[in-house]
Amino acid sequence: MSSVVFEGVTKRFGELVAVDDLTLTVDDSEFMVLLGPSGCGKTTVLRLVAGLERSTAGTLRIGNRVVDDLEAKDRNVAMVFQSYALYPHMTVARNIESPLIARKFIVDGGAPRKLSRSERRERVAEAARILGLGDLLDRKPAALSGGQRQRVALARAIVSRPTVFLMDEPLSNLDAKLRAQTRLELVDLHRRLNTTFIYVTHDQVEAMTMATRIAVMDAGRLQQVGAPQDLYERPANLFVARFIGSPPMNVIEATIGSAEGDPYIDAAEAGRIAVGATVALGQTVPAAGTRVMAGIRPEHLQIAGPGSSAEVQLPTDAGIVATIVAVEWLGHERHVICDAAGTLMTVRESSANRAPAVGERVVLAADPSQVHLFDPVTGERLP
Amino acid sequence: MSLADVIRRRRAREFVLGLLFLLPSLTIFAVFFFYSVYRLVYLGLHQQNRYGTAERYVGFSQYADVLTGEEFRDGLRISATYVLYTVPIGLVLGVLLAVAANRQLRGIKFFQTVFASTVATSVAVASVVFFVLVNPQVGYFGDVRFISLSHTDSALRGVALSSIWQNLGLTFIIVLAGLQAIPDEVNEAATLDGYGPVRRFFRVTLPLISPTLLFLAVVLVVFAFQAFAQIDILTGGGPAGATETLVYKIFHHQQPLEQGTGAVMAIGLFAVTLLVTMVQFKLLERRVHYGF
Repeated sequence: MSSVVFEGVTKRFGELVAVDDLTLTVDDSEFMVLLGPSGCGKTTVLRLVAGLERSTAGTLRIGNRVVDDLEAKDRNVAMVFQSYALYPHMTVARNIESPLIARKFIVDGGAPRKLSRSERRERVAEAARILGLGDLLDRKPAALSGGQRQRVALARAIVSRPTVFLMDEPLSNLDAKLRAQTRLELVDLHRRLNTTFIYVTHDQVEAMTMATRIAVMDAGRLQQVGAPQDLYERPANLFVARFIGSPPMNVIEATIGSAEGDPYIDAAEAGRIAVGATVALGQTVPAAGTRVMAGIRPEHLQIAGPGSSAEVQLPTDAGIVATIVAVEWLGHERHVICDAAGTLMTVRESSANRAPAVGERVVLAADPSQVHLFDPVTGERLP
Repeated sequence: MSLADVIRRRRAREFVLGLLFLLPSLTIFAVFFFYSVYRLVYLGLHQQNRYGTAERYVGFSQYADVLTGEEFRDGLRISATYVLYTVPIGLVLGVLLAVAANRQLRGIKFFQTVFASTVATSVAVASVVFFVLVNPQVGYFGDVRFISLSHTDSALRGVALSSIWQNLGLTFIIVLAGLQAIPDEVNEAATLDGYGPVRRFFRVTLPLISPTLLFLAVVLVVFAFQAFAQIDILTGGGPAGATETLVYKIFHHQQPLEQGTGAVMAIGLFAVTLLVTMVQFKLLERRVHYGF
């Protein structure tokens, strides 16, 4: 059990800056998910913690120890690789035992020493029991299913009782059903082991469902850290706003307007959204004339009715005029994709509503208390 | 026409078509292999006169005589010794070189090319190079007793040196390919498990390249049994027949009078090579791990 602290950690590969000045604290026993598109540097962060890469600048602490010059084996971390990286020539039991053979361990507070054969066997049996691998110990990895291999990789990780678990997209090789099940198992494992987990994924569903906190990365830079709900409700910038949430947040270019002292968001030909003095979660609406990017989650838009721009009365009748381009039916809900003067916007609505037809002209109403405003130049959330 | 007839006709047609596809390779095999083997067996069953103008059927007695004879045994002993001199050392050196060259370093391609270059060298060229190095009269290392070509007990080692060098490129390339097929993540997992380079090599790398090593062991044994040019160029079978391997002896039974003996020895060598290869597969396959 240890915290992991990054202070200005930078990793360059030649010209490429894979991780750019990362400052982040992963708390003890936390389930931290590093989330971002491929190539954003999240796996490099994990490899830096594991000791498979050395940082170019900055300090990395595990617990209270600076580990920058510590070899991988001395960091007491365990890693589950995307491909599981099991040894194909060893049985499951020998695979799980592998981290116990060469390294020294502190047993009952004594000096670090190698484990005896019976101690190793005991720990393997325990890890196998936790992951339900008892019947498979004599098999070779080639004789296992994907889910079983994944559990062997997890068992190999927990057997050394590491202070930090590192997982690099461990679910990406599983089919959708098994992935959903394994998510639950991982959360359960985290609860039982009560150890720090750092988990890398590009899949926001994995991040949202498992993380205590999520660190969103893009292009080597940390974008935002927070609990899943915080990230969803108060995205710090346009990247996070668009990356988290499925379907993604609708973002439209607009200018703040004012009619008789009441501000509204003027999206030019697309229409307008009437707002009070504050929008989503207490953002202050800037002065009239300010250019903004307005973000609205699909569930905060609804089809108010058919119409054309001529019928829209301002500001009380404010709405966005759009043409329906596609309708995706998902059973319990429906995603209606509309074209609002060149910007595609998605409406998430209940399947119980009247089904809209492609080509239909509609007026979209946004929940004014749920509109996010971003700076169009920096992409940062406005205060 | 019943369904069974239709199927039978279709099968017959496919069989003919299959034969047609096989025809090119069958032709080549027939000309260069099947006919040769048939001719060899035939020669072994006959004795010819001095001029090769008349032959007499002698049956399998010639096989029995030659295969139990001293000359065959002597040649086989020298061939086997040659295998022992060349194969283990060649394999170990090839693996060491490949492991050394299998890393991400600036300019490593240069070294990989150098190590692999003996593949592009003919046996004759390699032999001439070693002639210059180990020849008793003019060689730079001509007076090194351990590999001296002028002593019966060391001449075969001198020749073996040339073979080891010659085959090193092939061993290097194939082992390197085997090493590069091991996923990085497996090596990284071993690093995290606390394996040092030596333990990682023996516990992870070696088992994972074992199919490659089995293949190489078989190939190198066959090469060693068939070695001829380096012996012919470096020692001519001498001194006092100390480097007359089986192949060398077979080659020197070309006179019509001796052709029967040579043919039987060739069949004997074929049988021995086949047997050794089969034993290698049996013994090693249990220790070989296929697939990731």
